[in-house]
Amino acid sequence: MASPEVHHLFHRPIADHSFSADRQTLAVAKDTSVELYGKAGNAFKLKDELKGHDKTVTGVDIAPQSGRIVTCSQDRNALVWEPSPTGYKPTLVLLRIARAATFVRWSPSETKFAVGSGDRVIAICYFEEENDWWVSKHLKKPIRSTITTVNWHPNSVLLAAGSTDAHARVFSSFIKGVDARPEPSVWGERLPFNTVCGEYLNNSAGWVHSVAFSPSGNALAFAAHDSSITVVYPSGPEQPPQAVVSVSTQLLPFMSMVWNGEDEIIAAGYDCEAFRFQGNASGWQLTGTLEAKGRPGLSGDAREESALNMFKQMDLKGKVKDDTQLKTVHQNTITTLRVYEGRNGSVSKFSTSGVDGRVVVWST
Amino acid sequence: MSIIQQHTASSLSDAWRTINIDALDPDSSQNFDTSTLHPPLPEASEADVRALNGQVRQLLRGGDSEGALRGCLENPIYNGSEVAKDAHLQTVIEVLQSIKASEMTPMLQRIYDSNGGSELVDVLMKYLYKGMAGGSASSGGLRTPTRNLTPQATGFSQIGNRPGSTNESTGAGMSVLLSWHEKVVDVAGLGSIQRCMTDWRKV
Repeated sequence: MASPEVHHLFHRPIADHSFSADRQTLAVAKDTSVELYGKAGNAFKLKDELKGHDKTVTGVDIAPQSGRIVTCSQDRNALVWEPSPTGYKPTLVLLRIARAATFVRWSPSETKFAVGSGDRVIAICYFEEENDWWVSKHLKKPIRSTITTVNWHPNSVLLAAGSTDAHARVFSSFIKGVDARPEPSVWGERLPFNTVCGEYLNNSAGWVHSVAFSPSGNALAFAAHDSSITVVYPSGPEQPPQAVVSVSTQLLPFMSMVWNGEDEIIAAGYDCEAFRFQGNASGWQLTGTLEAKGRPGLSGDAREESALNMFKQMDLKGKVKDDTQLKTVHQNTITTLRVYEGRNGSVSKFSTSGVDGRVVVWST
Repeated sequence: MSIIQQHTASSLSDAWRTINIDALDPDSSQNFDTSTLHPPLPEASEADVRALNGQVRQLLRGGDSEGALRGCLENPIYNGSEVAKDAHLQTVIEVLQSIKASEMTPMLQRIYDSNGGSELVDVLMKYLYKGMAGGSASSGGLRTPTRNLTPQATGFSQIGNRPGSTNESTGAGMSVLLSWHEKVVDVAGLGSIQRCMTDWRKV
């Protein structure tokens, strides 16, 4: 396993991050702005700053094909940033929500994006040619609380959403004139807008922090605040799922996760490191961490300890060893975990960002 | 014309800031019964609890303390009256007190490794917190007044009932719960505390 590539950008929390398709640009949500970093050698240098929101930016996503950037913020707005020779041009999107926008992701087709909000709705936004602006339709029922996360099915019609009412749900976001009629799948055949294709809750029912469709789109995983991961295998429309597998871990809750193939999930969260889960419809289990323990180069290990220094430390801090650093690469909660490099659903590299202001690229 | 001229005395005051707008919104979570979000739980009557407690005590007398512990953790009282819930808590605490310190960790490990065992350990964690919250862990169903005593501004609520002998047994019960808590965290990790906090099924 190659050692992780660590980029310590600043000493502020990173709410969300996104790499461009060529991985030369990194967009990072920092406070009320989005910072764009360009790759220079092995490091990332600040290149541009997208200022347009006046409250904390909660989500950022770069569309891989078109290069458009969508951002959302607690100021209840979403902006689409169009790349142009003179820089990025923002366009306001009419979300029609009265509470903060919490999460945003482009659909795989890049013709739509979904914005989760504290207003108990998901705004599905698409571009209306005749009026030349982005409009939104609301997924409303039966959401009872803030949407914390969304994830798109590969067909760009189905959308999974996690909520603080402890449910993970699968909706249809079919929009006439934008989407092609989707192939029938385990989630359903006819899928008009706001069809609820599935609604899931695990036993201890914490807030859902992350949802993810498997690469085929035929299974759904969600991570909740009860330190669990639940994987749902639906059997068909209007039928109970063929299997719901829940793994209650001994760890702290997971904030974000991705699938690596159909039988592996990588998740990270409050434990500041990424963990690997493996399994299938008959059972899942935690198989270990992706952090290489006892790495050399942890600060404090290599420092020469003189007797004078030792007594100085004891006098100043009451102890000899400096143990203010975690043994993990991230020094605080990981909030976003994304695919960095992968093909056909299997992930060879993924990136994480968190409260400690670091973006780290890992190989699986 | 500026709109500022339309301000009245009432709009200039800060009173409108304290209006609870959620109460005025028919769709808001305040006007919504959140219990309907979960599947209903089976209700347990006081008679059920008594019968169960009888069985658990019988196991305990027979020396099968692991069976007794499993027995009460497999049937937690989620939906029942406060009396029934408290009665079951007393039984759990009795069982916990009867188990020797050296047996705790191996027994927890066996329960945790068995099928569906992590769920049982999570239930145990809930009872530990409930026991510690109640403040009265004394056996024999004796209710000490500590339970309803509101903490003083100084935070020294214990001082009030210092002369009573109940205080010592409370302390002893509490130390049992604390040592169990430590062992449960060793076996089931911080995740069990997480689940205890998030779970809507309260014991």
